[in-house]
Amino acid sequence: MNASFPYRTLSTIALLSSALAAAADELPRTSWGTPSLQGYYTNATIVPLERPVDLGEREFLTEEEAQARLERAMTVTETQPGTEADVHYQFDDYGMARAQNQTVFSHRSSIITSPKNGRLPPATPEALARGQEIRAWRAEHGFDSAKERSLSERCIIWAHEGPPLLPTGYNNHVQIMESKNHIVIMSEMIHDARVIPIRDSAPTAVLPPQWQGSSWGRWEGDTLVIETTGFSGRVTPTGAAAPMAVDAKVVERISRIDAETLKYEFTVNDPTLWEAPWSGDYVMQAVEGPVFEYACHEGNYGLPNNLSGARAIEAKGGKP
Amino acid sequence: MILRLISCAALGLALSTTAHAHHAFSAEFDVESPVEFTGKVTKVELINPHSWIHLAVTKEDGTTENWMIEGGSPNSLFRQGVTKNSIPIGSELKVFGYQARDGATRAVGRTIHFIDGTPLFFGGSAPPNSSGAPER
Amino acid sequence: MLQRSSAHPTPGLLRPLGVALLLVSANVAAQELPRTADGKPDLNGIWQVMNTANWNLEAHSATQGATEILGAIGAVPPGPSVVKGGHIPYLPEAKAQKEQNFQNRRTEDPEAKCYMPGLPRATYMPYPFQIVQSDGDLMMVYQFAGAVRTINMSNHQPAPVDSWMGWSNGHWEGDTLVIEVTGLNANWLDRSGNFASEQRRVIERYTMLNPYVISYEATIEDPTVFSEPWTLSMPLYKHVEEEARLLDFKCAEFAEELLYGHLSKDAAARSNAAGEQP
Repeated sequence: MNASFPYRTLSTIALLSSALAAAADELPRTSWGTPSLQGYYTNATIVPLERPVDLGEREFLTEEEAQARLERAMTVTETQPGTEADVHYQFDDYGMARAQNQTVFSHRSSIITSPKNGRLPPATPEALARGQEIRAWRAEHGFDSAKERSLSERCIIWAHEGPPLLPTGYNNHVQIMESKNHIVIMSEMIHDARVIPIRDSAPTAVLPPQWQGSSWGRWEGDTLVIETTGFSGRVTPTGAAAPMAVDAKVVERISRIDAETLKYEFTVNDPTLWEAPWSGDYVMQAVEGPVFEYACHEGNYGLPNNLSGARAIEAKGGKP
Repeated sequence: MILRLISCAALGLALSTTAHAHHAFSAEFDVESPVEFTGKVTKVELINPHSWIHLAVTKEDGTTENWMIEGGSPNSLFRQGVTKNSIPIGSELKVFGYQARDGATRAVGRTIHFIDGTPLFFGGSAPPNSSGAPER
Repeated sequence: MLQRSSAHPTPGLLRPLGVALLLVSANVAAQELPRTADGKPDLNGIWQVMNTANWNLEAHSATQGATEILGAIGAVPPGPSVVKGGHIPYLPEAKAQKEQNFQNRRTEDPEAKCYMPGLPRATYMPYPFQIVQSDGDLMMVYQFAGAVRTINMSNHQPAPVDSWMGWSNGHWEGDTLVIEVTGLNANWLDRSGNFASEQRRVIERYTMLNPYVISYEATIEDPTVFSEPWTLSMPLYKHVEEEARLLDFKCAEFAEELLYGHLSKDAAARSNAAGEQP
């Protein structure tokens, strides 16, 4: 069963680093001399964002543990008719199942590398309180109108798009395009293209908050370092208790490992959400293009259907 | 090997993300209203965030109802070479699903396939590695 | 300059210089263009039209807008036709559809719904867009609705699927970037109800006139809507602010009241109060 899964085997970070050093001269470059990061990639992975607690500070699984994890990720329990969980289309009818999409195989125990336990730092009391307020509001008003629905259901933005860009359940494709003074990082869901200027120093223009912050990039050797701040204050990142602050700071480092692979590292610093900054990294693998258009809003029957369903529940005296 | 259904909850736990919190299916469709029928395809919308297949369903009394059946994002299908013509208009499909809470002739397709049992897009087997890239 | 040369102590030197100046002035447009490593015009930058084509591609005087409560802010400003020959050559049934679109424009204009505008409309929305030109392909990123497309510069394939921003195959004809766009969803071409179907084929031509101006032409072929192909033409101007960048215009949330307002709890309460069926 394992042999048929479309995964690539990647060993330890140590092996990757030495491969990087050896292959530096062979890395593709742009006509203006910088490394070429351009291409189409997937960041689908079975490595979880956070390390299971019982693994403590262990960064790597054993071969057996990694294979067992792969099998668990690829095998699923059938839902029972008449249960809420059954009210869903079947993923593998649409090619959306894990085993139907190229996925990185890895022994890493988590994407998060810092804190040392591979888990998100503790949430601040402020974030927890804010999260409770939001949940309480949603319990009362969550179906009142379109603007009470989640940002992803409204087809505005998906939290995994970040930055930092994180893998999600499906449609994990990324397109990178490079010109001399800009790099574009586009996530498949929801066709969001970050156009990042490459500069010698931080920009000085005063900008309004942006859904994905305002970024600028610079080359440090063969690594592209991207700094981002000026977020919207409306997006709750994966695993966070409340939305990311406007002044949060995210640093990304992207480098090419070999012709087929990029390394994507990041550090998130938001003292309103977490008691410490946190970092992680993962690998993006080349895929054939294109990234198909994920138009979302234009085809969003689901949002009005949810509202209509909620009104129907209310009309019968219930609470959606 | 064809996989079984991945429930939203299970997938969410595996990923430690809220990937599927985006769409509260339980508000849209009613677990208490399962439906099962066959129908002829009148329109195929391979769109995001969800695809929709429209069927003309002939009821026992001989009248026809138009149903729309919700499915998944088609982007992985496109990567496999599927196009909007992959399900010919007029094809007969069998659906089991749950009807919309507002009573409309709309349902989420828990299972949907050609009337002879052939899966909609993959002709009976899980598709190969979508990228065609070799394993390391 | 040439006339002064006769009084110059060394006339022999200036005659070849005069000839050289004539040669330089003839080629100045070509030599002044920024170019990429492969010698093609470098279109990188943020561009925007300065016209009212998005209001109406054909000639239009200033008129009341579709929403009177906005006062003069909602009015339609005047503009000449950007269509070569002045008018869009509709087939009779299509012309009737256009008139119907115009009547219903407040609620039916895809722009009002924040749908991606497709081509050619994305080019002349009154908002900037950015061309990112790599060693190979190009991307065009539009501020409105975050629309984006990739221009495939090699290995041209037919459109595999239909989409809002279509499938773009590009190539150079001398210094003109020619892009063929197909696989576009049916869409409107402006706020006045001009439209085209999913059968349309759009041929765009981007010709840099100087580092700050591109001459843009788009020919639309759609035999289900128009009696013949027709072409629109306009300049694109470069943003020269030192740190110019696109900003978010994710307009879906601004269209929610228009699209879904009738499904809100408030709307249900109002219709209940009015004694209507929920």
